[in-house]
Amino acid sequence: MFRPRRGQQEVLAYRGGLMGVAAVPGSGKTEVLSALAAKLVATSLDEGQEVLIVTLVNSAVDNFTARIRRFLREEYKLLPGMGYRVRTLHGLSHDIVRERPGLVGLADDFAIADEREARGILEDAVYSWLRTHPDLLEMYLSTELEEWRVRVVAKDWWPDEACEVANAFIHRAKDRQWTPEMLRSWLLLRDERLPLAEFCIDVYADYQRSLSYRGKVDFDDLVAYAITALRLDKDYLGRLQYRWPFILEDEAQDSSELQQDLLALLAGPNGRWVRVGDPNQAVYYTFTTANPRLLREFLERPEVQTVEMLESGRSARPIIELANYLLDWTVNEHPLEEARLAFRPQHILPTAEGDAQPNPPDEECRIYFHPGRLTPDGEIRTVVKSLAKWVPAHREQTVAVLVPDNERGFKFAEALRQKGLACVELLNSTGPTRDTAGILEAILMHLADPDNPKRLGPAFLAWHWRERVDKERYLYLTRLSRLLGKCMKVEDYLWPRLGVDWLREQDFSEDDEAFALLAEFREKAQRWHKAAGLPIDQLILTLSQDLFDEPADLARAYHFAVVLRDYSEANPAWRLADLAQELHVIARNERRFIGLSAEDTGFDPERYKGQVVVATMHRAKGLEWDRVHLTAVNNYDFPSGEEIDRYKSERWYVRGDLNLVAEALGQLEALRPGGKPYVEGEPSRKARLEYIRERLRLLYVGITRAKRELIVTWNTGKNERDPKTPALPFTVLRTYWEGTASKKFAALSPQKDEQKEKGGGTHGP
Amino acid sequence: MADIELTPEQKSLVLMPVGEPRTVFLEGPAGCGKTTVAVQRLLYLLDVGVRADHILVWVPQRSLGWPYVEALRRPTIPAGARVDVLSVDGLARRALDLFWPVIAERAGFNPTQEPRFLTLETAQYYMDQVLEPFIREGAFGDVTVSRNRLLSQIIDNLNKAALVGFPHTEIGARLIAAWNGPSSRERVYEAVQRAANAFREYCLQHNLLDFSLQVETFIRHVWPQSECRAYLLRRYRHLIADNLEEDIPVAHDLLREWLEQAASALLVYDQDGGFRTYLGADPEGALALGERCDQRVILDKPFVPSPAVQALGNGLAKQATGKRPHPAEPLPDATQLEEALRFVEGHFHTAMLHNVVEEVLHLVMDEGVAPGQIAILAPFVDDALRFTLMTEFERHGVPVRSHRPSRALREEPAVRCLLTLAQLAHPQWEMCPPRNDVAQALVQAIAGLDWVRASYLTEIVYTTKEHRPHLYPFGQLQPEVQERITFSLGTRYGDLLRWMEAYMAAPPLPLDLFFSRLFDELLAKPGYGFHNHYDAAAAAAHLIESVRKFRWALDVADVDELGKRYIRMVEGGVVAAQYLRGWRSAEQNAVFIAPAYTFLAENRPVDYQFWLNANSLSWGRRLYQPLTHPFVLTRHWPPGRRWDEEDEFQAGQTMLRRVVLGLLRRCRVRVYLGISELNPRGREERGPLLDWVQRMLREVALTPSPSPEDRG
Repeated sequence: MFRPRRGQQEVLAYRGGLMGVAAVPGSGKTEVLSALAAKLVATSLDEGQEVLIVTLVNSAVDNFTARIRRFLREEYKLLPGMGYRVRTLHGLSHDIVRERPGLVGLADDFAIADEREARGILEDAVYSWLRTHPDLLEMYLSTELEEWRVRVVAKDWWPDEACEVANAFIHRAKDRQWTPEMLRSWLLLRDERLPLAEFCIDVYADYQRSLSYRGKVDFDDLVAYAITALRLDKDYLGRLQYRWPFILEDEAQDSSELQQDLLALLAGPNGRWVRVGDPNQAVYYTFTTANPRLLREFLERPEVQTVEMLESGRSARPIIELANYLLDWTVNEHPLEEARLAFRPQHILPTAEGDAQPNPPDEECRIYFHPGRLTPDGEIRTVVKSLAKWVPAHREQTVAVLVPDNERGFKFAEALRQKGLACVELLNSTGPTRDTAGILEAILMHLADPDNPKRLGPAFLAWHWRERVDKERYLYLTRLSRLLGKCMKVEDYLWPRLGVDWLREQDFSEDDEAFALLAEFREKAQRWHKAAGLPIDQLILTLSQDLFDEPADLARAYHFAVVLRDYSEANPAWRLADLAQELHVIARNERRFIGLSAEDTGFDPERYKGQVVVATMHRAKGLEWDRVHLTAVNNYDFPSGEEIDRYKSERWYVRGDLNLVAEALGQLEALRPGGKPYVEGEPSRKARLEYIRERLRLLYVGITRAKRELIVTWNTGKNERDPKTPALPFTVLRTYWEGTASKKFAALSPQKDEQKEKGGGTHGP
Repeated sequence: MADIELTPEQKSLVLMPVGEPRTVFLEGPAGCGKTTVAVQRLLYLLDVGVRADHILVWVPQRSLGWPYVEALRRPTIPAGARVDVLSVDGLARRALDLFWPVIAERAGFNPTQEPRFLTLETAQYYMDQVLEPFIREGAFGDVTVSRNRLLSQIIDNLNKAALVGFPHTEIGARLIAAWNGPSSRERVYEAVQRAANAFREYCLQHNLLDFSLQVETFIRHVWPQSECRAYLLRRYRHLIADNLEEDIPVAHDLLREWLEQAASALLVYDQDGGFRTYLGADPEGALALGERCDQRVILDKPFVPSPAVQALGNGLAKQATGKRPHPAEPLPDATQLEEALRFVEGHFHTAMLHNVVEEVLHLVMDEGVAPGQIAILAPFVDDALRFTLMTEFERHGVPVRSHRPSRALREEPAVRCLLTLAQLAHPQWEMCPPRNDVAQALVQAIAGLDWVRASYLTEIVYTTKEHRPHLYPFGQLQPEVQERITFSLGTRYGDLLRWMEAYMAAPPLPLDLFFSRLFDELLAKPGYGFHNHYDAAAAAAHLIESVRKFRWALDVADVDELGKRYIRMVEGGVVAAQYLRGWRSAEQNAVFIAPAYTFLAENRPVDYQFWLNANSLSWGRRLYQPLTHPFVLTRHWPPGRRWDEEDEFQAGQTMLRRVVLGLLRRCRVRVYLGISELNPRGREERGPLLDWVQRMLREVALTPSPSPEDRG
């Protein structure tokens, strides 16, 4: 039974109009939004209507769906899955465009270029432009570089940077709904040169041409097309406004202008629109077109009913205290005036007595700021050593190491594994490779030639495709697959007869798992063998139900099934081997078949108790662990605008500390008739401030992931000649924690913790 | 006579003196004991001395006559007594056989030659030949439809003309008049008309009678002949007509006239039936027959569904647009819903299926429910679905059977096995099946042979020489190869080969006899794949019947030529006609997996039903057939009116209501809805059935629960 807190009760009392909810970390916004959605489904819909829930990422879609289902079932005794629709912005746009593609001039079978494909097209366009325009780099190159360095930059650094610049420019232009043609016409009106804009507009035009040549749209186009469709056809808009009388928007702090425009259109002038977000957790501004200003402005609008959800039962009180202190210090004392705007002044409050989710007891809480000066490797060693002690004693608890970027995450993961600690990576580039066609092909090839040992190993690896991301694990599986390749009488393994079982004859004395894995594969293969006589489409559907559980994979497998069925009907003499071969051809061109982008899967830390999760701070958003290691809190990853601070986006080879992405966006904004004039360096300065603010919020996000224990470390960075220092907030928080706060939470003195650290106590880091 | 307990109301109907009243119209919803009354009435008639051959049990299709056939097999029935249980086409066929010399010429046939009756398959075979020039000229332009569907839809049009009773030459005009899309389709409908005309011409020239010609010739040429009519009326003086709502308009016409003369007649009508509307059933026409009867009786107290299931039916039926239940019919309350409706969910389709299997296992193993009391139903049952469920149940030792009547023959593994063996046993046909097919045939034919050994064995023993297939004996293989296959499996293979060699040594048999012998003498024996394998045996029986009818229809003396033509026809993907024997003889105490319509056609109530893919759009949606139209080609469609979206919607609602009520009235205890958030394609789907359920749940939630007194 859901027992709403004060703020949550206000949200649940929603009847109509505009509502803005400012929520703090762990205040249960997903829960309350789900409860509200279920309530509206049960009580406030007419025939053919749905509650529309819009959220940020696919994993959140799954999360919402599961919760709403539970509410409908348990609280309202209704059938789950009906009366609501949970979508990401892109999913929603896709629904809208798919229903009326003709409205925006798209064919019925229009396809979406996934991020990989879009990136490939962009790179082609950029590289081709750079070949004929070497002067662009010269315009921005630092004059202090030696000749050989210039050559290195031109070859190794500049192409990637140019792609980043163009990518950000195109995203922003699409967010503003400005086409290459519009931009070109505006450019012609200007006297001054805007070299980055010129470059980006050319690439933008080329990119759009390439997409349209392929009959595709990218994700940004999709949203823009959806808005265009709704603006073009008022009846269609009216129909959708009727269909979705309530719009609930989650993570509204990361909303972009396009998203806001689209939802505003759907909500209509008398819209029923609830926007929930935490302005203090807006951490996507640098990477995307998300704009935290939008939610804050919305919350200030007089017609908006603003609700604050400040109670949170996630973290122990000392951790809450620390997060609140970071906020207070930033808002009131940050040395950089502009940085003080990083946060909306709202404190996290612990839950009231009797709350269903009380804060963990104070006495279970540990906070530790490692004061030592650690090299990057030293930091890894320290954290891993600490975890090697902690994990075995806390098998039922969850723990994460939060890192600033993927590269650092890989290093942590490697070190943890070397130490024998089970580790789960939640990093951007390690999503499972979804080579759907390749996986199916390997198994079909085995089915077509079942007594061939050479086909057995690939089929075994295909069955374990999810484990490809774990290199060590994959090596182990590959060794097993090689062993299968040596099984010359396949039948003695897959279909053993009395007294003759190849598997039992193998010596797995040291490795019980190998036996179990091969036995499990045998059982699965036997099932597939029984299905080998099915028509090809049905065979693929049967296999894919065993192999995949991601919508994108299932959709792709279904597509292959249909295509191969067609081939099979056109060539009645074709049998499995021919069809598997055809799948091989399809596999090589798999991108042709990709629908929506590969989906994120919902990540539940509770499923990884006793293992160490390594995550970027960004990916950690929305998640929580009993213990959190916050790493690399130095002045490079968390700058504060001090003289010695350096900024990632200001490349070492670019003159005058210019941030070229920011400069390109500045030039874009200046292009619009009536736009502010472009002053070189000004966008970089603003970007720097924005970055400082965003990193403060990221630190806040990191702190508030911890339920019971928080350990913060910093390192001196890669460049030994220019060692980094602790981030200013690190020092400030440490001072506060070891001084004022320790008095407040007397039982938890830092000295005690440090002693435990040195002495290897079970609870200390 | 009756060895089952009847209510006083039923008893009074059964025991009515013969002819007093002369004609009775018995109606009511399914599950109220109407068929029980009719069956007992049949036994009563026999009991009081009515001659068996004077009784005609009239049903819309063979499967619906099963309760009568079963009752007539009882030991208490006098030997030699033969009651005919026929559908209108069966009756037509009998009459045509009998009166052929009298009517053949008048009907446009050659009276000097015997008629050849076509099944759906053989009609498709001939239609294929007739259609060839049309397809070559691209007559069906913008319509994307497979060749088999093309054939079946044109045949369907001819059938509809015959069973509704309009000239077949009006098909195109009727379709064009109702068409509501681009004008290019009109040319296609004109081509459909030309193809139908050409087929009819071809049939008349060659004395071929497909379903449409059988019915049409009977209605237009046999029945109007006074001597023929007098014979039939004399012969069948007592009528029992069941499931009138599923019968076709010309059958109702015929009955209307028959009633005038019959010594006694009991007509049975299911109020919420009409599932075969797509196939031409006319529930409205059936209801009108009630006015022609001396007495009208309503049985409306259902025996089958529990009060909770009945209330669930009322609650769901209420959701159909424009349909409201009788005010007295109670809606379910929360307790009844809990009792009668459960959900089996899964994020993915596989997860949902897994949970369904778990629930069935729980019912069977923990609660002692007989497997035969469980039906797993879906709008369509594809191979992947069937395979997953069948293998899971078989793994747990729960008996299971499935039936999918409209499946192409070639898609049945047992059929493919027999066809491959036929090619191997007839090398003179010069048809060499691919290696993969031979291995599959061996897997099917030899019990215990796995796919790896079958493939390996095939690699070694199967070869083709001068376009002829050849198998080497097991004894000639190297000892290490023999060992890999194992001697027990090798012996079975050897016996199979010896059987084929013995067969090849004699002159070839007609293909159906070849299959019969192969089945009886080898495959049905222990150690072979069809032994105790009900579905495979049913498929074999089906194939044998199909080949036999093909042989009769083709009248080709050369058995080799006949065999080759048959195999080519099946490889072309013809859809099998529905045969009673194929699935009635199968294991009855088994979990039944079938499309919902098939379950309804079987008309056998169960305790528990699982409705799979409850969120599918296919619940209540007709199969899109671009070249025909089940609602336009009826008696009730106003000439010239166009079929639009609203008609489609209403038709869907009506069908869904019929299906839902039909299923629930054949369910005693509980329905489980199988719902997966994502369908097998990985997409979200929300069909009308789930929408109804949700609306009902919302309504129930908003309605205060009645007190026990109120309910009482």
